[in-house]
Amino acid sequence: MSRAMVRFGAWGMLALWAAAANAQDVPGVTKDTITIGSFGALTGPSYLYGKLVMNGVEAVFDKVNAEGGIHGRKLVLLREDDRCEPAAAIAAAKKLIHQDKVFAINGGGCSNASIAAKDEVAQAGVPWLIFASVHDGLTNPVAPTIFSSALSASIEGQAQVEFAIKQNAKKVAIVSMRDSWGRSRYEPLVAYMKKKGLTAVADEELAPDANDATPVVLRLKQAGADAIILVLYPKPAAVFLRDSMKFGFKPLMIGQSAIGDPTAFEEQVGVPGATASFYTISHVKYTPDSPEIAKWRDAIHAKYPSDRLSVFNILGIGSAQVLVAALKATGPQLTREAFVKTLAGMKAIETDVFGAPINCAVPDHRCNRAPAWMHKEPGGPIKIIAVTPVD
Amino acid sequence: MMRGGKIAVRLLGPGPIGLLCFFAMLLLPLVANPYLLFVGTQLSIFVILAVGLNILVGYCGQLAFSQAAIFGIGAYGAGLLKVHLGWSFLLSVPAGAALACAVGTLIALPALRLYGLYLALATLAFAQFTQWVFLNWERVTFGAGGFRLSRPAFPYFTAGTGTFYIALFVAAILVILAARIIRSRFGRAIIAIRDGEVAAESLGIDLLRYKALAFGLSALYAGVAGGINAMTLGFVAPETYDLFLAVLLKAMIVLGGLGSIAGSVLGAGIVLILLELLRAFKSAQEIVFGAILLSCVLFAPSGLAGYLSTRLDSWRERYVRAFSPLQAGAARDAAEASSSASPVSGNA
Amino acid sequence: MLTYLLLGGLTSGALYALVALGIVLVYKATGTINFAHGEFLMISGFLAYSLYVFAGLPYLISILGAVLLAFLLGAIAERIAFRPLMHANMVSLVLATVGVSFILKGSGRMLWGGRGDYLAFPPLLPPNPIIIGEIILVPQQLVVLAGAMIVMVAFALFFRLTRIGKTMQATADNPKAARLVGIRVEQVHMLAFGVGAAIAGAAAALMAPITLLYPDIGFSLFIKGFAAAVLGGLNSMAGALLGGFLIGVIESLAGGYIATSFLEVSAFIVIMFTLIFKPRGLLGLNAVRRA
Repeated sequence: MSRAMVRFGAWGMLALWAAAANAQDVPGVTKDTITIGSFGALTGPSYLYGKLVMNGVEAVFDKVNAEGGIHGRKLVLLREDDRCEPAAAIAAAKKLIHQDKVFAINGGGCSNASIAAKDEVAQAGVPWLIFASVHDGLTNPVAPTIFSSALSASIEGQAQVEFAIKQNAKKVAIVSMRDSWGRSRYEPLVAYMKKKGLTAVADEELAPDANDATPVVLRLKQAGADAIILVLYPKPAAVFLRDSMKFGFKPLMIGQSAIGDPTAFEEQVGVPGATASFYTISHVKYTPDSPEIAKWRDAIHAKYPSDRLSVFNILGIGSAQVLVAALKATGPQLTREAFVKTLAGMKAIETDVFGAPINCAVPDHRCNRAPAWMHKEPGGPIKIIAVTPVD
Repeated sequence: MMRGGKIAVRLLGPGPIGLLCFFAMLLLPLVANPYLLFVGTQLSIFVILAVGLNILVGYCGQLAFSQAAIFGIGAYGAGLLKVHLGWSFLLSVPAGAALACAVGTLIALPALRLYGLYLALATLAFAQFTQWVFLNWERVTFGAGGFRLSRPAFPYFTAGTGTFYIALFVAAILVILAARIIRSRFGRAIIAIRDGEVAAESLGIDLLRYKALAFGLSALYAGVAGGINAMTLGFVAPETYDLFLAVLLKAMIVLGGLGSIAGSVLGAGIVLILLELLRAFKSAQEIVFGAILLSCVLFAPSGLAGYLSTRLDSWRERYVRAFSPLQAGAARDAAEASSSASPVSGNA
Repeated sequence: MLTYLLLGGLTSGALYALVALGIVLVYKATGTINFAHGEFLMISGFLAYSLYVFAGLPYLISILGAVLLAFLLGAIAERIAFRPLMHANMVSLVLATVGVSFILKGSGRMLWGGRGDYLAFPPLLPPNPIIIGEIILVPQQLVVLAGAMIVMVAFALFFRLTRIGKTMQATADNPKAARLVGIRVEQVHMLAFGVGAAIAGAAAALMAPITLLYPDIGFSLFIKGFAAAVLGGLNSMAGALLGGFLIGVIESLAGGYIATSFLEVSAFIVIMFTLIFKPRGLLGLNAVRRA
């Protein structure tokens, strides 16, 4: 063998060994950073469920980094915009996974977009802690690396129906939005009602940007409904409550986590007393005015001066705390497999904001099963009526 | 010296550059990660859409905003045939394209009487109506959540790579086809229609027939692109085919150059690169996108191809005007907007 | 049931009419459609909110301030984005205005988007519903109705009686001839855009208590307003009013008697039919050539 060949062989072996060593490196993890990806709507009407939640996540990351990081590694958040659109979510997920090579994902704003991206994430085996999407299909069928700290459509639907039954409602009606968010909640709701032997006396729709709900209110009044389950965003819900008040129609109004801030909602409805019978669910047990989370209010205001703490930020704060707890518990030898195994074994993660300790050691990976019921007396304070864990 | 210069100009022409790009794309799967491959497939899809739209808007002067909706019809057609009837993509994509073509041709009927702004508005209304159908005809279209498709299976290639090559080859074929069509009798007829309908009619050009053909052809392109899009994403949803996409498509042909096939390809590339670069701006994307769109329209009104055609002879397409081909249309719009001309004749 | 539906339709129709009036004004004076009109409305609404809630200015002063700022914004937009494209083709013009709308929408989202999902703007009159016989109204809806009528009458008189109004019409009719008689066409256009944006500002202040403020409110209102303008006739202020009310009523009736899902799409079906059968609109006058 010539000397050139030997030399060539030696360099070749060195290169191969270097490549092999590199290949064992965990994507997204270096000596001093952990890169977490996040996709959700940064632009477009649903930026609330993307950008604002991510702002909460980053506020937590900042605090953790200020305290030294996780086993010496600082957390970095990489955001991608999916505009609440399925194709863009697929692209965003592909980018985070294959181009940016993030360690894990803490994201998922709009349900329709997240569902489209689910396959991508599941197939790549990337850990994903969903922070806002509620679609049942995200955890059913369950993927080994996908978890959720948000409530789910069926958990909330179930809670809404149980609430109506508990309040002795005899004629329950539904008002929903026809878009993909609305449908993702509507179907489990109707399924659960059927299971309980209930049929809705009326089933109405409102558009997300509706300014007038007269036809809907009239039909519901005609049907004699005494409890209305609202599968609506705050704006159409506000228009609905306002128009109901106009016609003197005052049934029990049952909201869900999209209307998670009763104070803001009261302002949005604008007619005094209209929200007297309005009860709603939140993923978290605090609202932006609660004194218990003053430190987060300050943190958000310091980081984003033109923002005001909102329920969406709080949602992100809670989710990020779950992520951080799992990362800490995994230890300094951080790999995706170890992380997923650790998270799947954690039964009681304490957070500053969720209604009950987070339990990810459940077969369907739905870690947050504690809807918090809220009610605000018009002109009075918000009361947490109950946290009603669902199994 | 001059001869060298002339050869250089020839080499920098749309043909050779296109060939170069094509060969470069052939090699992409060897070096690209799955995300870049996905972007590459998007490029081919955008090229097909842009060329199709330019045939209608740039060459025939019909200001239609319906392309994104017809793209959707192609995607839904291909996807639904696969999901409901079990057809393979080989059958469902052409069938979806045929459906899109049929719907697109029908739009030509009202388009006979409408010009400029009014046609834009009518096609916009049609686009919104189509989205409404996607959302509400739940039994067939699965409604708001859209539906999932299985990815195609290829021998030797992964689904991603296989779809990439299919998109690339179809795009190449359709671009060459479009270039040929434009130089044919059909092309001359629609250009004549764009530049003056009364004159065209007096030359014996049947307005209905050629407008219908233009709408139909452009819809066929959009339909094929739709089917390939369904294949690539593995998912079909109503939100994908919205007005934002319609604006993006218009931007492609304006930035690339109205009335230019090469311009359409360039425009598709420009917009795609723009979208990828915009990612870095995160929440400021809307502002940056608006600013770029505005500046491009202000400073490069005839698009990149228009600019290149003033510098390099090889880029000058025979029928492209130096300034926008819709100037004639604009003059006509202004005339009919403020005059008492009846809506049907429209030629002052 | 019918009366309530009609009333509901008229009140939402008043919203569309207000938007349509601004669109028609600009069209009458410049011959172009400002696709960013909805975003001017949105930004003015947010400006009024900021002036009232952050700067603590009195209610009416905040609204006035927002209207003035909107006027400035419209004039600037005309100078930067529309003037250079006056003679370009329609597609470029549309894209330019779309570009402006994205810039405005993105700015709205950056500046105010973090304050909450939908911002509540206080109404002019106390919000308790008023009952007149069988009719029940939220007072702000009456304010919107009144506002729409006032704007229409004011501008109808403006175009008919004042010199500037006639100048605007002349410029739109025939810019070349206008220039020949010494009319400063560019300034007229700038004024028109400014006034159009100011109408949007006033509309925002009146509507915001009903529709709430959020960055994406511009587009949905614009589409309906545009439909109303086309239905009524793009160069008729009265047509804008009529078109607005008609679309509101059609939506409400369709939603009431057919199905609520028809509420969203009926405006578009109306546009399609109008354009096929009566493209000039219901009151669209073939503008009389002034000698």
